Amino acid sequence: MPLYTQVEPPEGYSAPGFFATTLDQVVGLARKNSIWPLPFATSCCGIEFMATMGANYDLGRFGSERLSFSPRQADLLMVMGTIAKKMGPIVHQVYEQMAEPRWVIAVGACASSGGIFDTYSVLQGIDKVVPVDVYVPGCPPRPEQIIDGFMKIQELVGNESLRRRYSPEYRALLGKYGIK
Amino acid sequence: MIQNRLKEKFSNEILSIDEGSDILTITVNKDCIREFILFLKDELGFGFLTDLCGVHYPDKELQLGVVYHLHDLTNNQRIRIKTFTSLEQPEIASVHDIFSSANWMERETYDFYGVIFTGHPKLIRILNVEYLDYFPMRKEYPLEDSTRTDKDDRFFGR
Amino acid sequence: MEPLEREHILIRPEDFDKNFSTLNLGPTHPATHGIFQNILTMHGETIIDAEQTIGYIHRAFEKIAERRPFYQITTLTDRLNYCSSPINNIGWHLTVEKLLGVKTSKRIDYMRIVIMELARITDHLICNSVIGVDSGALTGFIYLFQEREKVYEIYEEICGARLTTNLGRIGGFERDFTPDVIRKIKDFLENLPKVLRQFENLLLRNRIFMDRTIDVGGISAERALNYGFTGPNLRAAGVDYDVRVMNPYSSYDDFDFTIPIGTNGDTYDRFCVRQEEMWQSIKLVKNALENLPEGNFHEDVPEFYLPPKEEVYSKMESLIWHFKIVMGEMEVPVGEVYHSVEGGNGELGFYLVSDGGRTPFRLHFRRPGFIYYQAYPEMIKGSVLSDAILTMSSMNVIAGELDA
Repeated sequence: MPLYTQVEPPEGYSAPGFFATTLDQVVGLARKNSIWPLPFATSCCGIEFMATMGANYDLGRFGSERLSFSPRQADLLMVMGTIAKKMGPIVHQVYEQMAEPRWVIAVGACASSGGIFDTYSVLQGIDKVVPVDVYVPGCPPRPEQIIDGFMKIQELVGNESLRRRYSPEYRALLGKYGIK
Repeated sequence: MIQNRLKEKFSNEILSIDEGSDILTITVNKDCIREFILFLKDELGFGFLTDLCGVHYPDKELQLGVVYHLHDLTNNQRIRIKTFTSLEQPEIASVHDIFSSANWMERETYDFYGVIFTGHPKLIRILNVEYLDYFPMRKEYPLEDSTRTDKDDRFFGR
Repeated sequence: MEPLEREHILIRPEDFDKNFSTLNLGPTHPATHGIFQNILTMHGETIIDAEQTIGYIHRAFEKIAERRPFYQITTLTDRLNYCSSPINNIGWHLTVEKLLGVKTSKRIDYMRIVIMELARITDHLICNSVIGVDSGALTGFIYLFQEREKVYEIYEEICGARLTTNLGRIGGFERDFTPDVIRKIKDFLENLPKVLRQFENLLLRNRIFMDRTIDVGGISAERALNYGFTGPNLRAAGVDYDVRVMNPYSSYDDFDFTIPIGTNGDTYDRFCVRQEEMWQSIKLVKNALENLPEGNFHEDVPEFYLPPKEEVYSKMESLIWHFKIVMGEMEVPVGEVYHSVEGGNGELGFYLVSDGGRTPFRLHFRRPGFIYYQAYPEMIKGSVLSDAILTMSSMNVIAGELDA
């Protein structure tokens, strides 16, 4: 049994002293292991996020030791908790302020779809205001589930092309939400 | 006894006294509510406003009710006071200068039921969005958002 | 969908020509634990006034509760003060039991006390460690959160969930305390004093912490009573009002515990009061666990108590009771009742008006956080911004409780 888990290196040519691969693989590898999340914690899922950042489940192992509360310095917007209609424009504004490349993870049932609150004052899912990459269900999701969602984001980040922000599909997607 | 002192001072304003439920409940006319609560605070020692909320009884003649819960901390006595007002003229005097905690509780009652508290410094919506044009907790309004277009009726059993 | 407006962030034009500046401590801020907005009017570094906007997480609990039978409302009460959900659940069941006239035996009361005091410990663990985080001491948070994980394991043994527990039934519990639960609670109580003492060594007599928190955000006892404060915030101001002592419920009067009170009502007093309440809760849990009497874990009220699944699948009458309760066909008397419990933040009250139907006619939550947060502008007037942040985190305002 090995003492540590080895991760598969990306495809490339390796020899003693160097490793050659394509640029977007290298950039993807660097990006996915150093994601700086913005914890947008509104309610109960926020407490489970605090448990995830704590010593027992430790999200810092995945490279996100530094939480950024400023959207300009963040890569990943983690929306955790219920978003009411009053809060909708603010999530939108925070997403607009984030610099490319940016991803969004909706943690919890309330952020994914409104959850158990099918009422007049709750936004039924944040994908009404921002484009979402990964949805993590649960009420609240266990920290292992949040880490699983985070690892899916890491897969997305690692395999993304460097020109994503200029691609027509991405621009059309952002256009649907009114973001230029 | 509290009931006797209240009866001799406010004899024609008290509509009913109920000693059967868990706390002494007194229903009063809405015009004297400020003097009533001031009397309870200054003379009878009920110095703590525990709660202020609204109720909507669509079957009664005076449909909107406001319920005050007061607590006397020295003698450990609680009292519940109810007043009712009509939908057409939902005005009740505010008690925010007697108890500062009534400030937001009256705003919440206004937000949910439309009860207008005269004399309140800033009676605007507190919990709902500002552009909401109806009072959601009244019984005639639904719980779900009726402007949603993405609900598939097959899944919702309609 | 309605247009999404942006009027929450506003700078008032009448402030432009004075030497006042307006600072938006906006809904998303690392130090506001929960989302509420404060627009501060400042003169240089000093705060003159604050305008508060809440409601960013309004989920319309009271409207939902008018359409749910009693057992489905327990899941709503979880999400009020989500740092200590069992207290809310048990408080709701106590209210319904008061309406229905169900009396519980001593064993159930003692079990409830054990769970409620564990929940109170977890609530104060978060609040105190977050006061440390806001003044820069991140280490305390990491150590104390490990203790919270141990309580999560205890909750999982009792009811299956970590945070939003949905615990208990009307008239008792769904299952008894297994020997695993008692062993875990005893291990937790063995270990917690050492961790709490380490935390106290870190912060309680720390010169920097004391300089940052003494005389910061103080409030006098009369103003606190006028503003409707309850809980640790009121006790720090000097008034010894505790619902467990004033209106005892669930056999709290069998136990002997002290209520810590402070003198100034400032941040340091609130920190110390919460710390001392944790020690008192440890004592209460130990006493309740040692003196746990024999008995059944639920009352014999088949009209309101969901029968265990083995009986539902084997006995006819349990099946019928189960069906009736789940469909909400309980016989509920007409009337109104107000019951309050001592939550993590103060007096959590439930005002229940019933018209005999399967759902409440009106249910109102008396949320302590909503009521005492009104005093925040008065508490920070004249202080600097970093003091305002510490005052807010020491008041322990939980957004779920604020907006309901």
